[in-house]
Amino acid sequence: MELIKNIFINIGTINRRWIFLIVGLSVLLPLLFPIKIPIQPTLHSQQVYNALKNLEPNSNILLSFEYGPSTKPEIHPMAIGVLRLLFKNEHNVYAMALWPDGLFMSQDAFKQVAKDEFNKKYGVDYVNLGFKPGNEAVVKGVASDIRKLYTVDSQGTLVKDIEMMKDIQNINDFDFVFSFSAGYPGSKEWLQFATDPHNIPLSTGCTSIQVTEILPYVENEQILGVLAGMPGAAEFENLIGETGSATGLMAAQSFAHIIIILFIILGNLTYYFTRKKGRKY
Amino acid sequence: MLKRIIPLLIVVSIGLLTLFGHFINVEFIQDFVDNDSTQWYDIIASFAIFLGALNLIKLQSLNIIRKKKNWQYSLLAVLSFFLVIFAGFFFRGTNYVELSGIHNKEELSFIVSKLTKSPQEQILSNINSTEAEYEIPKIYMSGSSAESLLNELLPFADSGEVKQKKWGAHLNTDGSLFYWIFDYIFTPLSATMFALLAFFVASASYRAFRIRNFEATLLLVSGIILMLGRVPVGALIPAWIIGYICVLGIGAGIAPFIKNKQTFLGIILILFIINTGIAFLNGWNPEAPSFLFLPNLQNWIFTVPTAAGARAMMIGIALGIVGTSFRIITGLERSFLGE
Repeated sequence: MELIKNIFINIGTINRRWIFLIVGLSVLLPLLFPIKIPIQPTLHSQQVYNALKNLEPNSNILLSFEYGPSTKPEIHPMAIGVLRLLFKNEHNVYAMALWPDGLFMSQDAFKQVAKDEFNKKYGVDYVNLGFKPGNEAVVKGVASDIRKLYTVDSQGTLVKDIEMMKDIQNINDFDFVFSFSAGYPGSKEWLQFATDPHNIPLSTGCTSIQVTEILPYVENEQILGVLAGMPGAAEFENLIGETGSATGLMAAQSFAHIIIILFIILGNLTYYFTRKKGRKY
Repeated sequence: MLKRIIPLLIVVSIGLLTLFGHFINVEFIQDFVDNDSTQWYDIIASFAIFLGALNLIKLQSLNIIRKKKNWQYSLLAVLSFFLVIFAGFFFRGTNYVELSGIHNKEELSFIVSKLTKSPQEQILSNINSTEAEYEIPKIYMSGSSAESLLNELLPFADSGEVKQKKWGAHLNTDGSLFYWIFDYIFTPLSATMFALLAFFVASASYRAFRIRNFEATLLLVSGIILMLGRVPVGALIPAWIIGYICVLGIGAGIAPFIKNKQTFLGIILILFIINTGIAFLNGWNPEAPSFLFLPNLQNWIFTVPTAAGARAMMIGIALGIVGTSFRIITGLERSFLGE
């Protein structure tokens, strides 16, 4: 018994590099040797799917990209999944970015889905308005008059010359808004300054850490469901019946979580035995 | 005196005007609040970016000149800054080939599909749908590379030329220098910094997540439930296993209050039997009882206590914003003047 106690006490002094190595391996190994874990959609992901699926054909959907490379693994699979569903159901897709790097993310997503998978035509099936600085002021501008805010799209083409933009004046011309959000400005700003005052349905896909902020709005049905982090993205991929990168990454995330939990348990055992030893002497 | 009063008057008048815009139905006020003020904000925000950039250069240059500690990083920051400025403002690097009068579509589509790694049918359909000029979907940073591609493709068309994307559009054209910097420098660096979080979270939770008191235990238990319940592996853990863990937890909780060891063991044994009985009656269904199923447990934590806490915080913050805004609009709060 004394030996076991000493082992746990010694583990407590382990160099943190070993912890880093084990965490690294727990992420790397499932990526190198993929394991299939069954994914069950949560209620919030199902709400997002239902909201998008039940839209009338040929609806105008505004997608807002508010994330960058750091949160790309979590949110980009959602963008891919949502675009696949929208193009499959023949909707008109309008994109913009509140973050400067959001523009690059949207370009990536459109290249993969619109160009390579669906062979959609720019300006006819989708349009990318690009990034504008100004945070909530941009959202307010979209709500009141999008033409004053955007005179050219991301390619430098005059907005008035784009076929799809002919009937678009402000937020009321959109049937649905979807925000891919990794922070400020993001879903909350869309809700407060555009969709809620004008009664336009909004859904969001956000990072896991943001879910607590978004959840009160989801519970009030001001936001129609939320894709919460990478698990949310994997659930959405499962709902649309396509296996994407998020599904592949779920095994790595699951293992990393288990390893962290094991470390917490180990740390507590060390703490218990050290405290007991301290009392004894 | 004027240095204080003029900014104060601007803030108070604009603040009042914006506030009234929500309550007074006069067209010019509405128009100011909805359109003009947001445009003003955009312009000021653009200038703020300019000021921020100048400030960055000033600080980093001072670090280099004074050879402060780690001045080498400052040098890297300044060099990167000018590289991005160069790629953004002075070098488009978006050369592409445009062909007109294509007469050998099949062969051209084959070459372009090899070049762009796109399906040949897709390229062919794009060529067929083009009425006048066809843009080869491949961007070259240097003009000479685009020229050599043009020479290679000219036999398939009547004429062709090398063109460049418009200024501004080059920033988001895949293949340009700016895009290359974003894809191959900014993206991996940014992702690496964020990925480091996982390692620090693991190390910190190992050292700091300790059962010291009731609150810490509550935090730890809900943290573990969320970590397992959020990932698919949580759904693989049967609810009755969680039931047994709960029995052990209850045992740990009541142990200090029961002195008699036999009574204590008896209680634990009864709870174990009850849990086994429930699991047996449910046919060892992994999702029953549903309140012990991890995904349901984590969902309850999210939607009930977490949502309630988040709402309380949001209402508190909103009230704070109302109070501070009121103080600014009435001129009581003057910290923005440096007072």
